[in-house]
Amino acid sequence: MMRLGGIAVAIASAAAIAAPFFLKPYGIFLISTWAVLTIAAIGLNLTLGYAGQISLAQGAFVGIGAYTVALLTPAGVPFFVAFMAAGLLSFAIGWVLGYPALRVQHHYLAFVTLAFSTLVFLVLRNEEWLTNGIYGIAGTSRPTLLGWQTGAARDFYFLCLGVLALLSLATWWMLRSPWGRAFVALRENPVRALSLGLDTRRYTLMAFAIGSSLGGLSGALYAPLVQFIEPSSFTLGLSFNLLLMVIVGGSGNFFGPFVGALIAVLLPEWLRVTQGYYLIVYAAAVMVMMAFCPAGVLGLIERAGGMLRAPRKAAGAFTDGAAT
Amino acid sequence: MTAVLEVTNLRKAFGGIVAVDGVSFEVRAGEILGIIGPNGSGKSTLFNCVLGQLQPSAGEVRIDDKLTTGMRPCDLNRLGVSRTFQLLQVFPQLSVRDNLILAGQEHQGSMASRLFGRADAGLGDAAGQMIEFFRLSHLADEQAGSLSYGQQKLLDAAMAFMAGPRLVLLDEPAGGVNLTMLGHLRERLRAYHAERSATFVVIEHQMEFVMALCTRVLVLAEGRLIAEGTPQDIRRNPIVIEAYLGH
Repeated sequence: MMRLGGIAVAIASAAAIAAPFFLKPYGIFLISTWAVLTIAAIGLNLTLGYAGQISLAQGAFVGIGAYTVALLTPAGVPFFVAFMAAGLLSFAIGWVLGYPALRVQHHYLAFVTLAFSTLVFLVLRNEEWLTNGIYGIAGTSRPTLLGWQTGAARDFYFLCLGVLALLSLATWWMLRSPWGRAFVALRENPVRALSLGLDTRRYTLMAFAIGSSLGGLSGALYAPLVQFIEPSSFTLGLSFNLLLMVIVGGSGNFFGPFVGALIAVLLPEWLRVTQGYYLIVYAAAVMVMMAFCPAGVLGLIERAGGMLRAPRKAAGAFTDGAAT
Repeated sequence: MTAVLEVTNLRKAFGGIVAVDGVSFEVRAGEILGIIGPNGSGKSTLFNCVLGQLQPSAGEVRIDDKLTTGMRPCDLNRLGVSRTFQLLQVFPQLSVRDNLILAGQEHQGSMASRLFGRADAGLGDAAGQMIEFFRLSHLADEQAGSLSYGQQKLLDAAMAFMAGPRLVLLDEPAGGVNLTMLGHLRERLRAYHAERSATFVVIEHQMEFVMALCTRVLVLAEGRLIAEGTPQDIRRNPIVIEAYLGH
């Protein structure tokens, strides 16, 4: 299974590298969007899927990151400095947003983060002196990295892919370290975790802060990708979309966000033939999926793999962090 | 003999209901103290107050002469006090091995060192030994949730021992465990006690288990201590019989 997984990752990586050479500019734009949103989804998967803290504010952090870069780079700040600033700012705000999670859980926490999301939207829309309000900010330039101009669509895609690869590796490292175990413990049984010496307060705040910073870093790439940002791009809709990516892909599964984001970005395009019915078809597909496979697409694949391998006793536990 | 744990006039009220009412006792190093009492007599509340899951309304808790009243469970655990809960408390989606590593990992290094250090926090061998000690080797890499109830109960106890605590509070370790597994659990607890000279406090309903394991027994009824003595004394004590059989 491990080897099969390795082969699947290698094939997927090769496909991700080869794809832009076979795609038209719009296709490249779509896979760049996939790479950027996957970063945010990885962050949410960390907070929600691993650590079990529901957040409906991930879209707001994408907005915070996007505005940070869109505001700093015209002022002469180098892109990569602005990029780091977006991550750090989101980390700090995410840390603060984690405090309510120390007191409330589940749907109550969902409402706290939902309120935060609305708050960020209102700030982006109303504080015109800073954010230019509903007129948005256009023309965030794409960076040059050691002489490599990423202005062209394909070059910028490779930049996004590279950042995605680095951040995925960092997340993977963290999740296989004792921290990953601690996050899962936080999700599965915080009372017992506390009695085993886990400082659940610090781990909860960390889960929020790191997840949020990945949202911010995603936004930092989003601004130069679309080159026009406005407040309505970062409403609850985006947060829900990111939540859907995590859950459809497989909440608490490392590769879930990659698959979930791919579906969320591509499905609307494929369903374009259905015209206005796209959302209906999409919603129906998600409902069927949740009813029959709450562990997401990857959960489904794992289950199929498990059934092929050995018709042993079926493990009843499903991998759904959101439900715990 | 020195006292590892000293509880003085501990009181816990939930609104008008006084669950623990002025309880004082000490636990001496190396003993296995049993706490028995009818349902609702305040045994688990007492544990929760001692270990920080609940804040006592009044009274003091000292561990090794250090005042620990109101400390957080995670800090108490790092002082070398560990516990199991009445209901099963393993992490079902972690493997048996990971459950054990988790139970020990927070006792070493700083949070940052755990991020950059080894994935098993240097506890792979210790976890392996604990798995062997509780005879769970064939299940080491299974998800804890797929184990039988009795096996999970063993794992639950093993986790409490993983960080090498001086004092372990076991809340109904025998609850819902079949007889064969019960004998095995008792034997393992006794072996651990002998090997590590750890101190145990055991809450239990299963009288045979208490009588065979404990060196001293406290009896709790309606939040108060009503008797103390060796298992033999307690078995014959008319007050205890009265408390158990009712009025």
